[in-house]
Amino acid sequence: MRKAAGLVSVFFLVILGSVSLHMAMAADSNPAAVEKPAGAPAQPAPSSHYLRYPNIAFKQKMTLAKGTGITKQAAQCIACHSQKTPEIVNDWSKSVMAHAGVSCFDCHTVSKDSPMANQKCPGVAGTDIYVSSLVSSATCEKCHPNEVKAFRQSGHARAAIQAVSQPLNQALLAHEDMNMPEFKDAVFMTGCAQCHGSQIKMDADQMPEAGSWPVHGIGTIYPDATVGNCTACHLNHQFSIAQARKPSACGTCHLGPDHPDIEIYKQSVHGMLFEARGAKWHWNSPPGGWQPMADYSAPTCATCHMSGINGLQPTHNVDLRLKWNLWAPVSNQRTGGFDTAAETFMKTGKLTAGNPLAGNPQGPEAARKDMLQVCAACHSTEFGQNYLGMADKQIGLFNKYAHAASEMIATLQKKNLMMKDPWADPAFRTYYYMWHHEGRRMRQGAAMEGPDYSHWHGVFELQQSLRILQAIYNQRIKTGKIDYNQTGGVGVGE
Amino acid sequence: MPKATWMRATVLLLLIGAIIGVGFSFAVYETSEKTADANFCGSCHTMKPFVSAFEIHVHGGDNRFGFQAECNDCHLPHDGLAHYFFVKVKSSTNDIWVETFDNTDKIDWRKKIKDGNRFVYDSGCLSCHADLENKTLSNPRAFLPHRLYFSKTTTKTCADCHANAGHKHLSEFIKE
Repeated sequence: MRKAAGLVSVFFLVILGSVSLHMAMAADSNPAAVEKPAGAPAQPAPSSHYLRYPNIAFKQKMTLAKGTGITKQAAQCIACHSQKTPEIVNDWSKSVMAHAGVSCFDCHTVSKDSPMANQKCPGVAGTDIYVSSLVSSATCEKCHPNEVKAFRQSGHARAAIQAVSQPLNQALLAHEDMNMPEFKDAVFMTGCAQCHGSQIKMDADQMPEAGSWPVHGIGTIYPDATVGNCTACHLNHQFSIAQARKPSACGTCHLGPDHPDIEIYKQSVHGMLFEARGAKWHWNSPPGGWQPMADYSAPTCATCHMSGINGLQPTHNVDLRLKWNLWAPVSNQRTGGFDTAAETFMKTGKLTAGNPLAGNPQGPEAARKDMLQVCAACHSTEFGQNYLGMADKQIGLFNKYAHAASEMIATLQKKNLMMKDPWADPAFRTYYYMWHHEGRRMRQGAAMEGPDYSHWHGVFELQQSLRILQAIYNQRIKTGKIDYNQTGGVGVGE
Repeated sequence: MPKATWMRATVLLLLIGAIIGVGFSFAVYETSEKTADANFCGSCHTMKPFVSAFEIHVHGGDNRFGFQAECNDCHLPHDGLAHYFFVKVKSSTNDIWVETFDNTDKIDWRKKIKDGNRFVYDSGCLSCHADLENKTLSNPRAFLPHRLYFSKTTTKTCADCHANAGHKHLSEFIKE
């Protein structure tokens, strides 16, 4: 009898529970009323000065207080754009930005005097509100000043300035588009700019010019004279920290024959562990709180080059832990302090070469100390020291090759034995491949544990190329003439 | 009775001193109040565009309450009376001199407004927005962007981010 009474009461409780749950859900799925009508059913608190939206921030519904959360004007943007550009709004609604109440209005409105301002959007036409499809790092900087500052002190900030201003790059582009005006900008905008960034220009209609936009590059120069595109790694409109921590965020640019960094990572033991276990790692920990063992069991690019780990502060300056420049014709230690290109441009409007030896302002040894501190989060001190010590030797070895090659080129130039068009000259081509392709693979493979890139794609091809260059050199010095039938330099052994 | 005379003289002098002192303070206060707002600053031709851009901004009265800030609220430091008056006297001397004896057309205002934080004092902003520091996550738009500022982990000033605060569409008004 007692048992039966217990069962009945449990049954009633279940019925009661499901009815209340059902009612709660029915109330939740109320149509997308922008402003809650006065006298609506008794929900806690909300009066007419609370706004309600569907699909904002993780949950089906989030209540935001007007004035502190999303304003009425901002709500209008969301309401209309969830019809016009539903994918963008949907993407944004899953972001931490949405969770914090940062919406279209906050990033896309600009002052009337901004060079990017227009009123193309019918929703703002004729009002006092001006918008821009471009969002420069000056906007991100308002809430993330330290991240943007550190980024602008890094080599990344030089990417577009260097691409649009260096005469050698421009000369190469002129060769590649065959100097034909109908193909103007094609090489740059489908190639260089998508990683390096472009200098965005506005047309007479106050829209970004086709020859300069759209562009995904990290160092993009915006019409408001600011440098940097945060969405290169934190893709819009989720701006995810998790996504930027994954190797693919870096590998979208750091790949290929001249800097196969994502390939090197994949070959390394770190990359192998990422492939095997990465799906289960915690990618969303806060900055500085993303820790080995607790959150992941092997580093990604971001871990070693940027993250707060083993007592180091997180940074957006990717040069801070680098001892060497591993991309130049000769590897020098990074003694230059911070990069200056972005700061100089933003202050004076001048496009400068920046600082190729940008690194840690306390010098290359401090940078190495920091990197060893990263290694020591998982390895013994000797492990890191011995590994990077051997990489130092391999870099030193590359410099020997580089000096041997550059001396030959310098002698030939002095004796007027180089062709006028360097890209037709087997001597120049061989030299170019030596430092720009084979030598970078050798150095970067050595520093980041990509044995195949350090050796077979690297130093092995480098010594082959040096022999080819030597033969060309010997012939030219011996005869005092250029033999136009000579070959060399186009991807020897590739 | 030399003593009483001496006493009387002292008291009298103190009284006169107090009256002069209070009068002087009153005059200083009145003058500084009268020379603090857009009416006064806008009486010079050079300042007209700034006043026009100010009047259509939230700070200039375009708000629900019609409340209007004074020029000095933002453009003078509010971290102590001495500093306040020092900067007031210094900048007004400069302004009067340049307005009277120099050619104000030479001034490149466009360049100057890019450098806005030289002319806006954080202590001024914070003397009105005093409650900003106490905001919590319950007001995310006030809390999140300003937490680095109040924890002193950034060197940005108010005007670095709020570049247009005070004068709406300013560069539109200073077009030649």
